Amino acid sequence: MPALLTLCTILVPWLGAVAIWMLGDKRQKTVGPVAVTFSVLAALAALCLYPFATAGVVVSIPMGDAFGSLSFRPDGLAALLTVIATVIGSLAVIFSLDYMKGEHQLPRYYSFILLFIGAMAGLVLSSSLLYLFFFWEITALSSYALISFNNDDPKAVRGGIKALIMTQVGGAGLLAGALALFSATGSFEIDQVLANPVAIPAGLLAFAAFGFLVAAAAKSAQFPFQTWLPDAMEAPTPISALIHAATMVNAGVYLLARFYPAFAEVPGWKTAVIAVGVITAFSAALMAIVAGDIKRVLAYSTVSQLGYMVYAIGLGAVEAAQFHLLSHAIFKALLFLSAGAVIHSVGTRDIFRMGGLGKRMPFTRLAFVIGSLALAGIPVLNGFWSKELILEAGMETGPAWGYILMLAGAGLTALYTLRVTWLVFYGKPREDLHVHPAGKAMKTALLPLVIGSIFSWLLVAFVTRVSANTMPYHHMEAMDITTLVQEVIMNPGTLIALAVILAGAGTWLVSQRVRFFEKSLGWAVHSIQASFGMESINDAITRLAGFAGEKLRITQTGLISWNLLYVVIALILACIYLAVGA
Amino acid sequence: MPLKHFSTLLILPLAFSPVIYLFGRVAGSLEKKNTGPNISRWLLMGVISGGLYALVRLYPVSMAGEKVRATWGTVSFQFDGISLVLIGSTLILGLLSTLYSGRYLAGETGEEKYYALFSILIGSIICLVSAADLFTLWLCFEIMAVSTYTLVAFHRQNAAALEAGVKYLVQSALGSVLVILGIALVFGERGSLALDTLKASGAQTSGLLAAGGLILIGFGIKAAIVPLHTWLPDAHSQAPSGMSAMLSGVVIAAGLTAMLRALSALGVPASVWGCAFLTLGAINMLVGNLLALRQVEVKRMLAYSSISHIGYLLTGLGFALYLGVINGAEGAFFHLMTHAIMKGLAFLAAGAFLFVLLPHDGSHGPLKIKDLQGAAGKYPLAALTFSIALLALGGLPPLAGFMSKWVIFTAGFIAKDGWMTAAAIFMALNSVLSLAYYAPVINRLYQRESSDLVKAGSKIPASLNIPLVILAISTLLIGLYPAILQPIYQLAGKNLLALFF
Repeated sequence: MPALLTLCTILVPWLGAVAIWMLGDKRQKTVGPVAVTFSVLAALAALCLYPFATAGVVVSIPMGDAFGSLSFRPDGLAALLTVIATVIGSLAVIFSLDYMKGEHQLPRYYSFILLFIGAMAGLVLSSSLLYLFFFWEITALSSYALISFNNDDPKAVRGGIKALIMTQVGGAGLLAGALALFSATGSFEIDQVLANPVAIPAGLLAFAAFGFLVAAAAKSAQFPFQTWLPDAMEAPTPISALIHAATMVNAGVYLLARFYPAFAEVPGWKTAVIAVGVITAFSAALMAIVAGDIKRVLAYSTVSQLGYMVYAIGLGAVEAAQFHLLSHAIFKALLFLSAGAVIHSVGTRDIFRMGGLGKRMPFTRLAFVIGSLALAGIPVLNGFWSKELILEAGMETGPAWGYILMLAGAGLTALYTLRVTWLVFYGKPREDLHVHPAGKAMKTALLPLVIGSIFSWLLVAFVTRVSANTMPYHHMEAMDITTLVQEVIMNPGTLIALAVILAGAGTWLVSQRVRFFEKSLGWAVHSIQASFGMESINDAITRLAGFAGEKLRITQTGLISWNLLYVVIALILACIYLAVGA
Repeated sequence: MPLKHFSTLLILPLAFSPVIYLFGRVAGSLEKKNTGPNISRWLLMGVISGGLYALVRLYPVSMAGEKVRATWGTVSFQFDGISLVLIGSTLILGLLSTLYSGRYLAGETGEEKYYALFSILIGSIICLVSAADLFTLWLCFEIMAVSTYTLVAFHRQNAAALEAGVKYLVQSALGSVLVILGIALVFGERGSLALDTLKASGAQTSGLLAAGGLILIGFGIKAAIVPLHTWLPDAHSQAPSGMSAMLSGVVIAAGLTAMLRALSALGVPASVWGCAFLTLGAINMLVGNLLALRQVEVKRMLAYSSISHIGYLLTGLGFALYLGVINGAEGAFFHLMTHAIMKGLAFLAAGAFLFVLLPHDGSHGPLKIKDLQGAAGKYPLAALTFSIALLALGGLPPLAGFMSKWVIFTAGFIAKDGWMTAAAIFMALNSVLSLAYYAPVINRLYQRESSDLVKAGSKIPASLNIPLVILAISTLLIGLYPAILQPIYQLAGKNLLALFF
């Protein structure tokens, strides 16, 4: 049964992708409902799979000597992420029915969403290093294709290619790490690494650990690779919700969580992970405060929240990271989709042009506010519990500088969340925008996420029990609701955190002016908006490659005499090499 | 029995070349237009199919580890795993490319010559990759070169094509001279030219080392090793597209194979060549990719990408020769096969666009990347297959290029040698760099606004589409289940290591 369900979560969406591509551009009306059918079937398969989660490999197909086996292991973490990918995937597809109405080339859109959903499920379920990498790259491919879905817009194309290249550079880290582990164990099975990391030579293990950290940072938009995610916001909004908030960007966190038992003892690795998480979480929160594009605010906030998860893994609090991953996937998908409803309605992403939309879009406002409160960490929404767990772990086991910055980050989160909510939905309208309420399909997609944002933390007992039972190397502990509530409420850290969060929110209430931060932060704004100089590093690398390509063209003279001269020079060099080398 | 099939394979295409020409010529002058070329084309397809049949019969023999040897007087040929890889790629790509060329070249003067020369090209590659002595090797290499000079300049009314042909001729001829000098040196030192006797006899001398240098550079020109690659962008982009597919897909790889066979006989330690290959591979990857980055012409970009792919092959071979890691050789031969498929597909798809978007007589300018804008709307199949080819070349799963590069990568790590690991990572980063020029082409194809050329374009005929579909499906299948080709590249890898160690 688990084997069949595992295969279904991957193959059903993929079959759907092929079917939709075959339908072609002439049947724009039918592709939407077909995509919904396939994605919902995949979600059902994943939901059925979750109770069957197991530590064992359920499917294993030998692929040849250099490829190991195509094998899948639906344990607690994998099955949970599969559920997130397929359920939020199907909600994004349903939302798209309204959002993408009237767009062209829809088969390509839906095909790539379904390809992505299947690949994401494959990525987390795979128990082979090669196929982890295989699916990892397919998610990058579909992310690229969907960011630049609107190929006629040069910004979308640039954003897509940037995302592809940056995640692929990180992918090289995953490739190198995976092969280092392979060269040590002689096998591609991940469990072989986790079961006995001491057997791997320390140098190779450290190489793999840091390679994977690079891969995770690139995929999850962590420092110093965070710059691709804001530019990925050119994608249609349901894509931002699905790929760039709820699922693909979690792959990096997943990778670190999966290999934590193997890498925990690598000297300096945990500190490096903590540092990456803290730097990212704090700096991205600052960027969110001065962003003026509703999707970019949410993108920076995603980067920042992913920083919290990475930080938690660095502390060894894998359960807390997993829990926050679940909460974040739900509330951030909710925020993005409701932002999508706003953008679809008013036709702009500039928050300074919005204002007072709440009265005319009451349902969307409700959804966005719930999402915001969860993001800000206000009790009793799901974000509150999971963020508190992370901060507690930071207070108890982490370095003080990390904890203080993360705490400040929580305050900043509350500040920017309140700012964006206020600027969009409250106050007086700053411009006369044409507004229409969200459509039926949009509301259908938003409602489960609203409910999820309020209640998903109640699942903690179930989720942690499944994980504890099926992940032998992670030594997780099951946690029931009462323990969670006691642990969070009795902890002094919670009060401190809440005070900081309220202070952050209070800052906004006091300042409450439309462009307050842009003005008061003065010179710092430019630096913050440019990702603290990381953007210019990206640009420099791109320019360097282009420049080198351009300059190298001089060597291609097109003159035979030059060509022959190269041959003669090469001959001389070859003879010198052979005379010296052999 | 195996000998009969091997002899058929060696003789059939070369022997039938004049027949193809004569039949085409005679039928063309008697009957109405187009009959002649059609007869030539069907004859060539028949010849290739005959070759494929012989190859299929030889397959189990070579899988059993037996090397078939054909000897006539002092000339001898040997069929092993390396020959199997090269001959298989040549015949399959040749068959599809011939089918494709029918409509592509319809109505051009001298079509029957094209098929006759094509037959010689295929025959010479088959002989080249099986040659068992240095002189035969050189002779076949020359026959191959001569047939390609004329095929590159097939559109001889087009000045650019002619220029490309002449440059190719001059540079390649210099290479041939270097090779024959090298062979003369070997003969002077050892008094023999048979590859296996040479390998068995005595230690290296300075004369043999010099011969090694001459052979490396001489064959290196055909294999497009930087800085000897300067002829390639012109030649591969100016040739008729079916021929570009052959040139990029198999001819440069045949040059590389000839080099390997010749170098293996010199008795120089393999690690010397391994080290050289790793260095040259790194240069090839980087230079090819950087030069491709700024290209605006579709076929020229693909030609530069071939230079970088030769770099990947050299890296794999370098791993194999430097420390004797068999995965490197396996990966290189696997990538050789997938590259033939992917690059063949890319050139044929680009050619299909060229065929429908620009005038047919070869007098037109090159196809620019911007001309492809929005082509997916009107030509969904060609756009999809072209995208598959580009993504596969860029090494994205679930396509063939990902898997063959993966095997090369594994080799870089198995030996746990710092330099080899660095080379593998450098190769991975180059693969990423290559996406920077493949991806924008795909974005262009799928724009909604189409270019004027696309709006005015005609329909792509089925005989052009069929090869595209077959190659695209193969790319996908190999990516999903790479073990299909495993026995073949493993055998070739084993044979290569046996040549050098």
